[in-house]
Amino acid sequence: MSTGQGDVEDLLRELAPQVLAALVRRYGQFHLCEDASQEALLAAALQWPADGRPENPRGWLITVASRRLMDQVRSEQSRRTREELIAVATPQSELLGPPADAEPADRDDSLALLFGCCHPDLSSPSQIALTLRAVGGLSTTQIAAAFGVPEATMAQRISRAKQTISDTGFDFSLPPGAERTKRLRAVLHVLYLVFNEGYMATDGDALTVPALAQEAIRLTRWLHRLLPDDGEVTGLLALMLLTDARRPARTCPDGSLVPLAEQDRQKWDQAQIAEGIALISAALPRGEVGPYQLQAAIAAVHDEAKTMADTDWPQILGLYDLLERAAPNPFTALNRAVAVAMVHGPDAGLEVIATLAADKRMAQHHRLLAARAHMHELAGDTDAAAADYLEAARRATSPPERRYLTLQVTRLTR
Amino acid sequence: MKYLMLIYGNQEKWASIPAEEWPAAIAKQDAFNRKYQATGELIGAYGLADEVRAKLVRRENGQPAVTDGPYLETKEYIASFYLLDCESEERALQIAADMPWADVDPVEFWPIMHEAKPDM
Repeated sequence: MSTGQGDVEDLLRELAPQVLAALVRRYGQFHLCEDASQEALLAAALQWPADGRPENPRGWLITVASRRLMDQVRSEQSRRTREELIAVATPQSELLGPPADAEPADRDDSLALLFGCCHPDLSSPSQIALTLRAVGGLSTTQIAAAFGVPEATMAQRISRAKQTISDTGFDFSLPPGAERTKRLRAVLHVLYLVFNEGYMATDGDALTVPALAQEAIRLTRWLHRLLPDDGEVTGLLALMLLTDARRPARTCPDGSLVPLAEQDRQKWDQAQIAEGIALISAALPRGEVGPYQLQAAIAAVHDEAKTMADTDWPQILGLYDLLERAAPNPFTALNRAVAVAMVHGPDAGLEVIATLAADKRMAQHHRLLAARAHMHELAGDTDAAAADYLEAARRATSPPERRYLTLQVTRLTR
Repeated sequence: MKYLMLIYGNQEKWASIPAEEWPAAIAKQDAFNRKYQATGELIGAYGLADEVRAKLVRRENGQPAVTDGPYLETKEYIASFYLLDCESEERALQIAADMPWADVDPVEFWPIMHEAKPDM
């Protein structure tokens, strides 16, 4: 049986967390298991397209990874101790070979793996890198390319993160009750950050830089299959789909940004919008509505408007009111101010912004300055708008943003 | 031998560039970067944030003490820097002169004298 390169890669990425979870459950030693399972994935990526896919891909990977693990353990300096550790940790039956055709009891193990990668002892960048590698099955090279850092930097980051996980001892029992909710929130936040990183980045060379937004959607879709009844997981998946649907209209071919108001809505991905709306519509009536569901609902209202003028701003403002109550944060307040301006006029929006600008750090943030510039322009005060756009451009954090804001200055002062 | 190239600018200068000239300007710089990355002579090209986001950092009681600044005397400040590794200074100067706007604004050129060893 011959298999396409793309199919093999998709399958491998799907199996990656299952293989690693099986290894860790069997042998402990997260750090070594992760290396071994990466090597098995690499071996499969080289062999399967040429030799055909084995009948039980998962069993094949676990067997190969186990062998690699043994090789690694043997070559380690503290060889004897480690072999003893593994021999002790391994049930006798499993030394005879993995039950390759056994029904995989992977659901909770994969979930525990994801929870482990988003461990509270790890920094955000480490959680992200480890999740992409251990759960997403991406190589260190790919992750480094996606974040635009040298491979050595990323390798160090991942290695330290794995060591931390190994040191704390990998725990397959999912935390109970409130602790579980808290940890799940951390997991969702990591996936959200991965998505944002991909969404904000300008497209690199698609061959070498994996699309992080797509990867975030794939992982969140997978999490949604494991936890179909969790409203916030559904909400996050819907939010990603509804936001990513606008991607084709969001940048010009030369890489410059197109704001929502000026996007060609014909280019939006209608199938993805339909899927996102179906998800959020099913989740909203089912109980407690969290911040991801509210953000998804807001994205849905934007996506449903045929033109910018058709946008149901009163509904968006209502949703921002709820969001500000559910998860107060300065950027939510800023977005709410924009909705206020659209419903009640620019002067009302400027009043809200004035209260936000009381916080010095917020007052200098390029997003506040850009929003205020826009409101000044709506109110007909071109000079104030140009001054705010200029200051926003100076404080922008990415070249496309800086360029967009700079162009607004040029437009207004020409 | 390694060299550092600096180009200067400020936000007012960028804002004076008409919208329709941006894509060509960026394409020119990208082409320069690609050309000398391909020859292995351009080690890295880095664009800096605006001076308002620059900081001064001191250590006080073992902790970073961060203040705004530097408040520059000059009207223009470093916009980008480039690291070159060339066989000769002559060659490096040629590359500096090939920078897209070297016909309008000079490129500041510094030979690098010392480098910390990359591997320990």
